[in-house]
Amino acid sequence: MTAQDAGLDGEFRQQVLDTMTTVLTRLLDRTEPVTEDMRLMEELGLSSTFGLELLLEVEDQLMILIDVEVMDPDQMKTVGDMATFVAGHSRPG
Amino acid sequence: MTALEAVSVYLPPVRIPVETLAGPLGLSGMQVKLFRRFHGLREVGRDPDASLYDLLMKAAAGLDALRGQEHRVRYVLYARTMPVVGPYPVNPLHEVCRALGLGHALAFTVTHQSCASGLLAIDVAGRLLAGDAAGGQQHGQAEPLALILAGEKAFTREAQVFADTTIFGEGASACLVSAFGARDRMLAYAASVRGDFDSDTGANDARLQREYRPSLAGVMQRALDEAGLTLGDISVVLPHNVNLVTWQRMCVLLNFPRERVVLDNIPTSGHVFCADVFANYQTACERGLLQPGDRYLAAAVGAGGGATFAAMVFEH
Repeated sequence: MTAQDAGLDGEFRQQVLDTMTTVLTRLLDRTEPVTEDMRLMEELGLSSTFGLELLLEVEDQLMILIDVEVMDPDQMKTVGDMATFVAGHSRPG
Repeated sequence: MTALEAVSVYLPPVRIPVETLAGPLGLSGMQVKLFRRFHGLREVGRDPDASLYDLLMKAAAGLDALRGQEHRVRYVLYARTMPVVGPYPVNPLHEVCRALGLGHALAFTVTHQSCASGLLAIDVAGRLLAGDAAGGQQHGQAEPLALILAGEKAFTREAQVFADTTIFGEGASACLVSAFGARDRMLAYAASVRGDFDSDTGANDARLQREYRPSLAGVMQRALDEAGLTLGDISVVLPHNVNLVTWQRMCVLLNFPRERVVLDNIPTSGHVFCADVFANYQTACERGLLQPGDRYLAAAVGAGGGATFAAMVFEH
């Protein structure tokens, strides 16, 4: 599903995605960039704890609060999936 | 059928904010934020002036049903997360037994399932008592009982914080169990002991995190199946107090309403070792969440030296 299909603000989702990829690149100490289609667990080795750290950083940087309590981690396969979730389940912090 | 006759819980009045623990525990600013913002662990209970003996005695002091019934107590089980809680030969369990007039009881510790040992202790106590009854009980003799104690001092770093997941709080519980009691009858118990998660043998923590919720959901379903019930029959879930986000996500996975999971004690008491289930039971009773005949589900995960996923179904 695209951001548009999901009724999301495409610009905000892109902002979330840019923040997430930047934070992930730093947290994972990667030399190559993190991209939207990368698989969180299989390719990036993201654990649930690490995933929460990522969301905390995104909250801080974008000054938002993410509704993690309704998040189903099993549905967050890629970086893009998580960006879509955050864009659709957050409010100004 | 194994039954909970009476429950008493002691949670220390002193609360320590997670920020205060950051220095002594070596937590980073990010870890503190993680605990507070997502794990919902704002503060934990500490009783700096109380020894482990004191904690257990304070819990037992509230167990009115024990008064005058000490002679009926045949077993005392101490359900414990940590294998070692004091320097040899100090043994708080036996000291507590003597002080309570239970020196005659067979007393031992159940610890091999870490934080899931509380549920194991209930099952073991019921089985021991039922086994004795099957071996013959004198006519007219009052039904024998078992006392289950739980709760620990968070006196080492390992006993205070668990890898970005939970913060342990001090407290204790005391619970009287019978084999054939009428109230809070245990309908089913299921446990899954997973030695393959033993980090000492190189098990991957990320894999445990991935399989944590599905494994817990699986064992909860097994317990329900054994009881002949579905999740729709369950009034409340008594969780282990690992953290909020784990149970919020469990609710998503199970499609179970969050407001029917007793999460009240997590922000203020933390993970009170094996006493969580008893503390949450007491909270459920105090809040009027359990009516006679209601079925409820207790669930716990013990991690460390492998992992144990456990669930128990009761009828109030």
